[in-house]
Amino acid sequence: MTPPDGPPAVRVEGLTHAYPGRRRQPPRLALDRLDLTIPRGCLFVLTGPNGSGKSTLFKILSGLLLPSGGSIHIFEHDLIADPRAARRGMGVVFQRPALDKHMTVLENLKIHADLHDLPDPLFRARLEAALAWGDLRGRLNDRVSTLSGGLARQAELVKVLLHEPALLILDEPTAGLDPGGRSAFLATLRRLKNRHGVTILMTSHIFAEAEQADQVGILRRGTLLALDTPRALTRRLGEEILVIDCDEPERIAAALEDQPALRTQIQNHELRIQGTGLPELIETLLKHHRARIHALAIKQPSLEDLYIHLTGRALARDEEEESP
Amino acid sequence: MILRPALSLARREMVRFFRQPERVVGSLAQPLLMWALLGAGFSPSFRAPGMENLSYIEYFYPGVLLMLMLFAGIFSTITLIEDRAQGLMQGVLASPAPRITIVLGKVMGGIAVALFQAVPLLIAAPFIGITLTFWGVIWILIGFLIACLGFTSLGFLIAWNMESTSGFHAIMSIFLMPMWMLSGALFPLDPATGWLWALMIANPVTHALTLIRAPLYQAPGVFLADPHYWNAFGIALAWAGLCLMLALWRVNRLERGATPPT
Repeated sequence: MTPPDGPPAVRVEGLTHAYPGRRRQPPRLALDRLDLTIPRGCLFVLTGPNGSGKSTLFKILSGLLLPSGGSIHIFEHDLIADPRAARRGMGVVFQRPALDKHMTVLENLKIHADLHDLPDPLFRARLEAALAWGDLRGRLNDRVSTLSGGLARQAELVKVLLHEPALLILDEPTAGLDPGGRSAFLATLRRLKNRHGVTILMTSHIFAEAEQADQVGILRRGTLLALDTPRALTRRLGEEILVIDCDEPERIAAALEDQPALRTQIQNHELRIQGTGLPELIETLLKHHRARIHALAIKQPSLEDLYIHLTGRALARDEEEESP
Repeated sequence: MILRPALSLARREMVRFFRQPERVVGSLAQPLLMWALLGAGFSPSFRAPGMENLSYIEYFYPGVLLMLMLFAGIFSTITLIEDRAQGLMQGVLASPAPRITIVLGKVMGGIAVALFQAVPLLIAAPFIGITLTFWGVIWILIGFLIACLGFTSLGFLIAWNMESTSGFHAIMSIFLMPMWMLSGALFPLDPATGWLWALMIANPVTHALTLIRAPLYQAPGVFLADPHYWNAFGIALAWAGLCLMLALWRVNRLERGATPPT
């Protein structure tokens, strides 16, 4: 659908958004001078805790909000100055499918085609092609209210593919799906990217999903904490992490202070140690602290580990605090 | 780029209406019930100056038709509130279709639903002693069109600014229903005095009702020669046009984010 070279699919510069304050409360800053560039043909996942600004960015990109400041270009079209031109090449998938449940799948698809001014013959042809991306062929004349969550999500995807967008933006598209449905949906997105060069920007607060992306942006309190490929991001932590479930982790960490090659972090009774020579370190720790240690394991660092490393706290705890 | 999406959204209003039998029954039954009950209750005591030959059932008939217009406008726009937060309307807002298609789709859909509800009642007019001529029906339909345009646009304007349907219900009870009550639908304007008369005469819906009432009781040659009719026509059309313009303006206005805290 789009050549891999050329200007980026999305270029966000200095994007700031604040929600108006209520009852003498000051405005609440949701995005703080955000800069972000998403190349064409990339599967980009924007992750971070609830309240980090992901949904605000999504709402601005989908045209539901006007930012306080900054600029956004979609394939070089200025989204704020010329939203209709920018939206022509964009498909938007909302967290809850934007479908009318009183109407059939086909009727919903037809409305979408009409909104994009597709004449009937073109709609029929595009429908045939779009149906290949789901199992909806036999359910076209069923009301949306009778579809399962996974099928409704497929209907939403087929709907936005009708106008052949070069950029798909999706807000937590796997929310409410079971693990099977979740991985099938992600596989569909990867196929769309690989076969048609569609640029995909999706938000997710599930780090395991973000690890399957080409690029990941970690958002926290309206600013980007990190931006790179998942491998490059996790490599920042070294090759491995030693995670120890123990009592008095502070005492064990204090005992390791004289080893500058090791970095320690305490999180919920867990001592996490990064550095070299971890297998040897296990022997030493068991020798001196066996009574305090309940379990230990060496694991590959994940984006969750990176998040803990960067913020000093787990995502779940951050979400609790950020939630209104 | 406007007509296709607007017609599509209007068609959606019709489909939704027929797919919700409780809505079809409710919107038809309530005005009919009110007509039958109030008509039966007030007929023996109803004596309006200049309308001595009119029973309350006959007097209330145009008011019931107007009530159908009001309900069609309310029910087609109240769905906007949830639709915008988590329904199909989100997809409409994210599409390249101009936002005015949302208003036009709602208004055209609302008018189509209202006409569908009102026409059977209009056919019943001869059974209560009202004789309709072809041109009389045409002028009544013009009145319907103006009233429905006003109510749907006004409903849109209110619903677009609401975050909950309960808020809309409150506005309906304290603003929209009193507009209908003070239109002359329930009691005539002429015997009213003081503040009540002033409220009724300032109410644009009073004039919209005149456009429906006059062709029911007078021949077109008579009411079209009456300057009061054209006065009402101008006021009702201006009200409907103003509501439509305000709705179009509102839907195009996107609120910019607040100034960030320092």
